Amino acid sequence: MIAGLARPSALRLVRTPRSLLAPGAWCVLALGFALAARWRGAVHGADHVLVDAYAPLILPLLVYTLVGAVLGTRSLAASAAPLVAFGASPARTALAIVGVALAASVIAGGLLGALLAFVAHGAGDPPAARDALASAYACALGSAAYAGWFALGATLGKRGGGRPLLLVVDWVLGLGRGVMALATPRAHLRNLLGGPSPMDWSGRSSAAALVVLTAVCVLLGARRARAQRPPS
Amino acid sequence: MITFEAVAARRAPLTLARLSLSWGPGLHSVVGTPADGGPLLLELAAGRTRLRSGRVEVLEASPLDARVRRQVALVPLEPPLPDALRTVEVLTLAATLRGEPPSDPKVRLAALGVESLAPRRVGTLAPEEARAVALAEALTSTRVRVLLLEEPLVGVDPRAVARLPELLRARGREGCAVLVATASLRDAGDLADDHVLLRGGTVVGRAASLDELAAFSPGGVRMRILVSDPRALLAALAAEEAVDAVARSDGAVVARGRDAPGLAAAVGRAVVASAVDLTEMRIEPPTMDEARGAVAGIATATYEAAHARTRSALALPSEAQPP
Repeated sequence: MIAGLARPSALRLVRTPRSLLAPGAWCVLALGFALAARWRGAVHGADHVLVDAYAPLILPLLVYTLVGAVLGTRSLAASAAPLVAFGASPARTALAIVGVALAASVIAGGLLGALLAFVAHGAGDPPAARDALASAYACALGSAAYAGWFALGATLGKRGGGRPLLLVVDWVLGLGRGVMALATPRAHLRNLLGGPSPMDWSGRSSAAALVVLTAVCVLLGARRARAQRPPS
Repeated sequence: MITFEAVAARRAPLTLARLSLSWGPGLHSVVGTPADGGPLLLELAAGRTRLRSGRVEVLEASPLDARVRRQVALVPLEPPLPDALRTVEVLTLAATLRGEPPSDPKVRLAALGVESLAPRRVGTLAPEEARAVALAEALTSTRVRVLLLEEPLVGVDPRAVARLPELLRARGREGCAVLVATASLRDAGDLADDHVLLRGGTVVGRAASLDELAAFSPGGVRMRILVSDPRALLAALAAEEAVDAVARSDGAVVARGRDAPGLAAAVGRAVVASAVDLTEMRIEPPTMDEARGAVAGIATATYEAAHARTRSALALPSEAQPP
């Protein structure tokens, strides 16, 4: 049943290549940064690309566009409406759709993180294979948190207008290192990749925070989608 | 099967105010423009819109109940369909979600004559085709017992329109409750056996047939007659006493009279007298305002009759008038 509920969203990604144009563009841009760092011969190339470009800019926008592609740039409730019309549970349908967005984001974000660490690898970075693996792990966690974050955003506003709002909130609050930053994926992802930590939290704490943030956002999103009616 | 008890709901600028209605198996219509609340009523029955107060029961439970949800099909003017799936996949998925035994999607689409849409992706369908697919799903589902249709004959693939009325009647005979919201009295008369007239979110009245309303409308009954020689028929109708007025409209003759049987007899005599070939002869449905006026007239007449009976039973002075 869950597979049946997830299928339309997964097929939307596969069968509408146009929706993948924006995520593809962000991937190309990230690779461009990595290649530039490699050609420059930066000592900490992977570090710079991941912490300064990928985590703060490209990963959030990549996941933002991926979640948009899975939802068809509608609200979560509107995206679930076709299946709810056939008698499916609104909460389960919303969970299945968010699950697809989460999986796509984790795979794309994690793989791209590993690829960037490998391509931009400099002399001062840790061994390439270990660095790529650690980057994949951190970026996958960050992608999952962002997917949940934007899925929750898609339940705000009649037509899912909360998605760009949460992108801005993450941008503004996540820049700092204070208490407010703890509520955003940006601060924890930066910490995991070796950047400044929020409230001096350890990497492990930030990893746990990303997992909790993902779970809270997904469950809250499903709950809100269940209560919402799609716009007529 | 569908019960509304003192239901109030709001979707700006419309407010449904304390509606109490119920429908059993069969074909029913709610007549009124979207601004009168018909589509909102369907959404309430499908559990897609929140109530302000009151209670809605569908199949003896809340429409939000998981068991009920699978047995209710709502087809609005723009039905939501999973745009990435092919039409056959949509019907297969719908059957799985409703808990139906698997059946050939092409056969289901063929019930409305749109089997050629089977391999198409929903995202590539025209709105009329998408509506035909949604209607085919709802009408051929073995699980659905309550069908809520908004303007079923409007904006639908022409291949499906011809087959819809018979298919709806068949579902009604099988014991389903079919509730149609329409702004067209003609469609309501063609599709349903009883009618609720809405205006501005309130029920103006109920009627078992639109002919009954036509007889009560202040303008009298209108009959549309399609014949081989309209001019000859017009001349013959002019001599009939039961005909108050005649006119030509789109190649047909429209005659107006006081009552339906009298008008039909007069038209029959005129057709014979003018020796024209008769193609079609039908009572024109009243306009929306005439129907609402007629329903109000029936209510007043019923009240006055009841008042007169009470007055004579209590032996009140004959000059006492109903308030």
